[in-house]
Amino acid sequence: MANDDKSDGLNRRGFLAGATAAGLAAVPLSKTTNVDAQESNRASAPLPNSMDAAMEHEIPGGYTGEQAKNYFVHHPGSDFMVDVLAALDLDYVALNPGSAFRGFHESILNYGGNRKPEILTCVHEEHAAAIAHGYAKVAKKPMAIACHGTVGIQHAAMAVYNAYADRVPMFILAADHGGIEDRTSQVLWTHTARDPLSPIKDYIKWDDYPRSLQHFGESAVRAYRYALTPPMGPVGIIMETVLQESDVHEHGLAVPEVLAPTLPLGDPNAIEEAADWLANAESPVIYADRFAQDQEGVDLLVELAELLQAPVVDQKGRMNFPNGHHLSQTAGVVGQADVILALEVRDIWGIVNRLQDAPDHTLTRAAPPNARVISLGTTEVNFGSNYQDFTRFYAADLPIAGDAQSSVPYLIEALRERISNRRASQISERRERWASAHASRRQASIDAARYAWNATPISTARMSLELYDLVKDKDWALTAPDNLHGSWETRLWNIERHYQTNGTSGAYGQGYGASSAVGAALGHREHGRLPICITGDGDTMYVPGVHWTAAHHHIPLLTVVHNNRAYHQEVMHVQKTAAWRQRGVDKGVEPGNIIDEPAIDFAALARSMGVFSTGPVASPSELRPALAQAIDVVEQGEPALVDVVSQPR
Amino acid sequence: MKGQRCLSVVLSIAIAAAAVVGANAQDDARRDGRELYLDFGCHQCHGFEGQGSQASPPNPRIAPTPYPFEAFAAFVRTPVRLMPPYSPNVMSDEQLRAIYDYVAAIPEPPGIDDIPALRDL
Ligand code: HEC
Ligand SMILES: Cc1ncc(C[n+]2csc(CCOP(=O)(O)OP(=O)(O)O)c2C)c(N)n1
Repeated sequence: MANDDKSDGLNRRGFLAGATAAGLAAVPLSKTTNVDAQESNRASAPLPNSMDAAMEHEIPGGYTGEQAKNYFVHHPGSDFMVDVLAALDLDYVALNPGSAFRGFHESILNYGGNRKPEILTCVHEEHAAAIAHGYAKVAKKPMAIACHGTVGIQHAAMAVYNAYADRVPMFILAADHGGIEDRTSQVLWTHTARDPLSPIKDYIKWDDYPRSLQHFGESAVRAYRYALTPPMGPVGIIMETVLQESDVHEHGLAVPEVLAPTLPLGDPNAIEEAADWLANAESPVIYADRFAQDQEGVDLLVELAELLQAPVVDQKGRMNFPNGHHLSQTAGVVGQADVILALEVRDIWGIVNRLQDAPDHTLTRAAPPNARVISLGTTEVNFGSNYQDFTRFYAADLPIAGDAQSSVPYLIEALRERISNRRASQISERRERWASAHASRRQASIDAARYAWNATPISTARMSLELYDLVKDKDWALTAPDNLHGSWETRLWNIERHYQTNGTSGAYGQGYGASSAVGAALGHREHGRLPICITGDGDTMYVPGVHWTAAHHHIPLLTVVHNNRAYHQEVMHVQKTAAWRQRGVDKGVEPGNIIDEPAIDFAALARSMGVFSTGPVASPSELRPALAQAIDVVEQGEPALVDVVSQPR
Repeated sequence: MKGQRCLSVVLSIAIAAAAVVGANAQDDARRDGRELYLDFGCHQCHGFEGQGSQASPPNPRIAPTPYPFEAFAAFVRTPVRLMPPYSPNVMSDEQLRAIYDYVAAIPEPPGIDDIPALRDL
């Protein structure tokens, strides 16, 4: 980016300074995808004249004009809606069917040829939304979902909330019977609302209820741009039923041109000041949460960190930094920081402070008292207030609002101007310390992994690392967070590429792991990667049917169920609470927390939906062959599941 | 995990049967220690083998324990930070001792060189 060509960077900055407060520069979500998208958008946008022509129609033989008018719909509005989605380059629409969008559904199939968008059949709207969530982070483009009015929206809600809290774009289409003329039964009345998106309104970026097709086209393009402008997020558009199903009456219908959205950059003066602080810092520390949107972001962060020899704490909202790099460190480093640079960090307060989960809720400061915080990101460009995912307020010493990944090249450039050769050699002395901390932490993790290696139930270390041993020379990509099974992947898999992990759920709404994995795997499919989802039995049971979607659409995905037969996170909470209350812990903490008696047979569950499966794998010696067999299946292009009966954590 | 506890009951019965043929008091103590380790839910955070994990919060490895009994007991009664305290009202000194003896006797796992998946990392 900017530092390949310094003068270009300076020009851009000059331009931005002139552009005053808005400070916008065109940087696509993912350059390649969006540029391609723009090309195809231009080509696929329907021409007004063709729509006009389409409104002329023939009367089929054997019918009078009056009969034909009553019997047939020649050019339904939903065909135009499909054109709009094609113009937005939306490849997929994930849906669970419902009559409120039967017109749209039929148009996708018989007008659009089920090509763009193509339908992903989901057995629950929550799956649809979670699939769209996982997909967008991998494919770098949104997916559409379609919801059957009130009920569909309510089912999709939690997964939409995850995507919102994760700042991931999603194009939500919801159908509604706007007028009373087509509400032919009380069923349709119950599937209609004055404000159908109200259940999710607090956590979508923008929504509209278009009253005409032209309005639909314009609002769809606006929604698309809003969804992709950082901070990104889900958007919702209503597809009114009469509008879908009636013949087009509007003349001159056109879809506005779809251009890649622009990214807001941080204030150039503030970036210069940040560079002053960082260049002079003795112990700078970088935190990155939802920073890197692609490999370029990772490479930039490596460049920035090396320039400062500053440790990076990857908070894993995205894959930000290679875990094998000597500057990849853990949260403890904040205790030594004099300047903290927080890149797209959700919870700065939580970096600087520790609030203990104990009856007295002791509050301590984790960072040194005079450490200064620079925040760079779009977290302050907030668009919600009811849901409190914005976390506790922390007054950063230098808050810079702007998309961090596209602002960092300017920060790097400003740092290079400030770091003399002499300063650079002082800075390079920091290297050894971090390299040795990194090496010893890695060694400690390897050592920790051998404890309980031969245990039954199977240890989480063995579950993760036997698998790694089998796939490490393949083009694997993890799709789910690893914090509920010992974080072994983060600790010991060699994670170098941005696509090798896919961030977190956003709102910690369970069911994300198994279902977003199917979307992520779909995004990986065209690259021929081996997608892997290691997730809990609890997580899986929120969304078991999603495996059917993977089978039906031949989406290669290896799912490993970390089956501790419990909602184990909650077991520990109740266990701890009992101890605080000095209650008879021996009475157990199981009811409400245990998923056992009967134990769920995940292999049978998967098999029933056409997914290859093995398990329950109870003994450590059975693990490796079971995994190897499942990997073979995935490499042949199909999903597979291995049920591993495992230690709690 | 309930299934595991059932397993340990089966194991206990098996051990009890073996006692007839001459198992010693040490086995009984170990069995009692394991029962208590499970009943008090130590395994929920520290794992069935006391191996610990890097869950949130990190639960350290406690077996084979590197501590003398006094330090171990002090930690369980008056932990420093994130561990919940087990007061004498719920856990007697004898029970704590039995848990300690059990944890201390958990055998060392194989070395890294004996585990190909770790050796080749
Ligand atoms: C709810 C989770 C939980 C349970 C249940 C629990 N522990 Fe812990 N334990 C922890 C955590 C967390 C720590 C680390 C505390 C810290 O460093 O702040 C810890 C630390 C310890 C340590 C100190 C280890 C070290 O090296 O720092 C010992 C010993 C220990 N626990 C023993 C036990 C025993 C024995 C039991 C059962 C009677 C038990 N724990 C039950 C969470 C738990
Ligand atoms: C929708 C939803 N319900 C409940 C929770 C609370 N919760 C957090 S973690 C967890 C346990 C999930 O079980 P599993 O996936 O098996 O993971 P484990 O903790 O057992 O490793 C639960 C129930 C949640 N986060 N989201």
